Amino acid sequence: MTTFGKYLHAVLEQGREEARQDGSAAVEAEHLLLGVAAGPRAVPREVLAEAGLDHRVIREFEHSLNAAGASAAAFDLPRPSANPDRPRRLAASARLAIERGATSAPKKDLQPAHVLLGILRADVGTVPRALALAGIDRAGLAERTRRALA
Amino acid sequence: MSGEPITAVSSDPADALAAVAALRRLADRVEDAAVEQAMRAGWSWPQVAEALGVTRQAVHKKHAKRLIAAGVVLRRRDDDHVR
Repeated sequence: MTTFGKYLHAVLEQGREEARQDGSAAVEAEHLLLGVAAGPRAVPREVLAEAGLDHRVIREFEHSLNAAGASAAAFDLPRPSANPDRPRRLAASARLAIERGATSAPKKDLQPAHVLLGILRADVGTVPRALALAGIDRAGLAERTRRALA
Repeated sequence: MSGEPITAVSSDPADALAAVAALRRLADRVEDAAVEQAMRAGWSWPQVAEALGVTRQAVHKKHAKRLIAAGVVLRRRDDDHVR
């Protein structure tokens, strides 16, 4: 498997774990972003860390998105038990992110950073909103990711 | 997470669409919690399914594995008749 392929596989596995912990039935693009932040030590993780985005920070602002007008706090129920299995299904947002990453360079030139680029390419949806809420310049982050390409 | 009530004050479709996505996630999460609490309280699958307005098969398929892994004692179907 190529470096890109191995890296993508590792991010996907971590993303599935993030989705499981989230009680999500499918892997969303934000779980892939968390997978990059908690995933293999590689260029994309460093780019996120330099922007002040580690796993904990992303988790927090992802949760703050739930404040979009409704709250689980309205129901006085204990936190549900997590699923024992990691979800296999990729949501449309995750599929788009991977497709955008994998088509952002000729196949032989693909690197781990392209995975992050694919995630950052979404103009709408949870990831760009979360980044905007956290005060992160998405275009700037994408530019730094691009510059980190070997 | 804030405890704000649902008030659609924004006229920006981006906000409205994001709210829809967040509400779907919230609904899933509340369903997970509510089904678990009901089953812990001794409800049967048919009761939970009827309360949710879905089939027994659907609710079982969606939640059984998670609840069994969490150690919830699930009522067997026969128990309904014994009551």
